[in-house]
Amino acid sequence: MKAEYRPYLKRLMLTLLISLLLVGAVNEGFYRLQREKTDRAPKTVQIVIPKGTAAKVAAGESLPTLPEAMVFVVGDVLEVVNEDIAQHQLGPIWVPAGSTGRLVLEIADKYSYSCSFSPSNYLGVDVRQATTLATRLTALGVGVPAVAVFLFIYGLLAFPIKPPEKRASPERVVEEGRHG
Amino acid sequence: MIGVGGLLVVGLLLAGWQILSGGYTFQGSLIDPPAPAADFTLTDQNGQAFQLSSQQGKVVLIFFGYTNCPDVCPITLTDFKRIKTELGDLAAEVRFVLITVDPERDTVERLGLYLPSYDPAFYGLTGTREQLEPVWKSYGVYQAQQESGSAVGYLVDHAARIYAIDQQGNWRLTYPFEMDREAVIEDVRQLLKESSMR
Repeated sequence: MKAEYRPYLKRLMLTLLISLLLVGAVNEGFYRLQREKTDRAPKTVQIVIPKGTAAKVAAGESLPTLPEAMVFVVGDVLEVVNEDIAQHQLGPIWVPAGSTGRLVLEIADKYSYSCSFSPSNYLGVDVRQATTLATRLTALGVGVPAVAVFLFIYGLLAFPIKPPEKRASPERVVEEGRHG
Repeated sequence: MIGVGGLLVVGLLLAGWQILSGGYTFQGSLIDPPAPAADFTLTDQNGQAFQLSSQQGKVVLIFFGYTNCPDVCPITLTDFKRIKTELGDLAAEVRFVLITVDPERDTVERLGLYLPSYDPAFYGLTGTREQLEPVWKSYGVYQAQQESGSAVGYLVDHAARIYAIDQQGNWRLTYPFEMDREAVIEDVRQLLKESSMR
């Protein structure tokens, strides 16, 4: 590498380091301030519909209630195991008797679905985008280069890199000595 | 610094590899194990008998609706049309079926006029209320007439999910209303691929 580029490379590396520390500190600070229970890795959430549920619904008997709104994170798998002798619907999942319905919740949004065994016949499903380590690393990946470019350009304008002084060649010194 | 960047890149590559190397994940609501779909015989828009069990070897997408429907059914049929177009040659292996929830108005003739405006290859199935009720029941389809006070007469509240039946005649997937079209297309492609690998 040419010697005149070295100060720029050094400056760029320094800028990247400062950006990493700066963006990392801001990201982590906000993450800790705003952290919620749904900031977790996706998992499988299983709900079992026991045998006799449809008969109980028909007879107007009380059932183990589901919360009015269920909160998930993107990537969660909602699994409904239907042990009943009748088909059931829980939100977006329809399950024939004796089978299992499985849905990967991929889009963050609030949904309202019908439900064959909730008291109100409706079920709210709230799918949230979780902030995980991967999200935070992605934020770093996006934030660091942008901040680094800004700081690098700002740095060049505010603190220009001086070009290395050229050493005079011996012949030139001799020339200058004769004239003097 | 370079080490941190390298670790980040390696981490991203590993995550990407893990995602790509995994098996296909269906995007609709998967029924597992697949359950044999309830069979039925109804009449199509050409007056011909349509029996579900005779469609084995095809993927069948079933939707319950009616021709006077102002919103859900036109949207779903438009989605069917786009899915069929985007499937290209594979669409020949798929049956697109509308089963009426309004047999009093959705006659064979009415369906014959209505469906070609979307695609003449779509099937519109009707029958008597006595023939249809067991089908609605076995597919868990809610339907109820509602007075609208408009010129079209009553409306019918109905379930809007789509059922995907695989080439072996099993319930495999369901989709809620307005499910992402691309997701349905990818799932249907996967169902066809699975069958070709058997």
